[in-house]
Amino acid sequence: MIEIENVYKSFGKHQVLKGITTVFEQGKTNLTIGQSGSGKSVLLKSIIGLHEIDEGTISYDGRVFKDLSVKEKKKLRSEIGMVFQGGALFDSATVLENVIFPLKMFTKMSKAQMIKRAEFCLDRVNLEGVNNKYPSETSGGMQKRTAIARAIALNPKYLFCDEPNSGLDPRTSIVIDQLIREITIEFNMTTVVNTHDMNSVMEIGDTINYIHEGNLWWRGSSKEIFNSENKEVNDFVFATELMKKIKNISK
Amino acid sequence: MKLLYHIGRYFLLLAKVFKRPEKHKIFFSNFLKEVNDLGINSLGIIFIISIFMGAVITLQTAYNIESPLVPDYLVGLTARDSMILEFSSTIVGLILAGKVGSNIASEIGAMRVTEQIDALEIMGINSASFLILPKITATMFINPFLNIISIFVGIIGGYLAVLLTGAVSAEQYIEGLHFAFIPFYITYSLIKTFIFAFIITSVSAYHGYYVVGGSLEVGKASTRAVVYSSILILLFNVILTQMLLA
Repeated sequence: MIEIENVYKSFGKHQVLKGITTVFEQGKTNLTIGQSGSGKSVLLKSIIGLHEIDEGTISYDGRVFKDLSVKEKKKLRSEIGMVFQGGALFDSATVLENVIFPLKMFTKMSKAQMIKRAEFCLDRVNLEGVNNKYPSETSGGMQKRTAIARAIALNPKYLFCDEPNSGLDPRTSIVIDQLIREITIEFNMTTVVNTHDMNSVMEIGDTINYIHEGNLWWRGSSKEIFNSENKEVNDFVFATELMKKIKNISK
Repeated sequence: MKLLYHIGRYFLLLAKVFKRPEKHKIFFSNFLKEVNDLGINSLGIIFIISIFMGAVITLQTAYNIESPLVPDYLVGLTARDSMILEFSSTIVGLILAGKVGSNIASEIGAMRVTEQIDALEIMGINSASFLILPKITATMFINPFLNIISIFVGIIGGYLAVLLTGAVSAEQYIEGLHFAFIPFYITYSLIKTFIFAFIITSVSAYHGYYVVGGSLEVGKASTRAVVYSSILILLFNVILTQMLLA
């Protein structure tokens, strides 16, 4: 479980996060949604320590991030898996080498064991026959799956996904969403997903945090968001004609 | 103020770079890769530049010293000392600032804008040390060898020039190569190359590491890396010459 308490973050005079308090629960897919520029990416990067927060606390199962020693932070980071928007795969390494990389850095496994583990992870994300290809030789969906395989290679306790569906077709998006949900349950991880994708919100959103202008504006489940009376949430979720029709039909 | 900001940030980056590598085995394998990418792969350009530089120095000296009071063997001596003192260290350094410097800045810059560096940081890896330290140590190790090769190739270039043009006799050219040789000049040249290697790699890595934006900014960082490395090479050339030869 990740607890965020009263988190503030500014860049110069521009305050991006204005006292956010929320909880990301273990074994659940916790979504953070919001308009572009609302602060959700900054929140995600603050949680994983890429941005230093100005005020507040972020704790991982009771471990307050800012109070940890360098060694403790390093240990905590080995428990974190991250899937970036663009995949952030290493261009100069093959798909298999990308997945092996964290194992090489943080375990004492033999080469054969590392290959076995990497192949298991690639299998788990349904990637076959691309082990020796470079990321640039694979499709966007395959790159996302490789990124997920790399993120779960070390059996992380916490999984973060930044816009995992961006640039993917709707069908592949659903596959990626289902995959994130399945591995979250299977490995009992605390998963935090930043997304714009309304399908994701409806399909895998166990808990949804709606960020508006740097504030946590609304919190609930995918069922609750459908019937929410909050104006900003409705404007965001039911922005398209299709979503409006779905809402009307459901009424 | 901006200059001070960059100088401060550059030294903070170096402090991060020179921390103990995560895993020595991985550092060593990255080091060897960089020796090949940044050093061995530069052999071709060094060979071409050096052979022509040696030839041109020889011919220019031969055609400009026409006084009967000046012995012909001075052509060989001038070619040798010019290659050792200046061309194989400074000029080759400037060429490498263009080739290696832009390569490093664009490689690291591209990794920054595609969040590969963030991915390393999140894994708990010191990205600066992981990416930059092998490059710095590899160039500081291999560039002195490239310098020696450049000196030899340049002298051979001069020899070929006198053979082909007959500007002076080959015997006199070789006599000049042996005349009044000061071994410390080699040490001076190697020290310069060693320091220039550090400048090229660290300055270029700095510009790549702090890129913000997209591909356009990566290109700009690459240009800045070459410009600043070149300026610093020229500046340190003066400082080191005064310190070592005065």
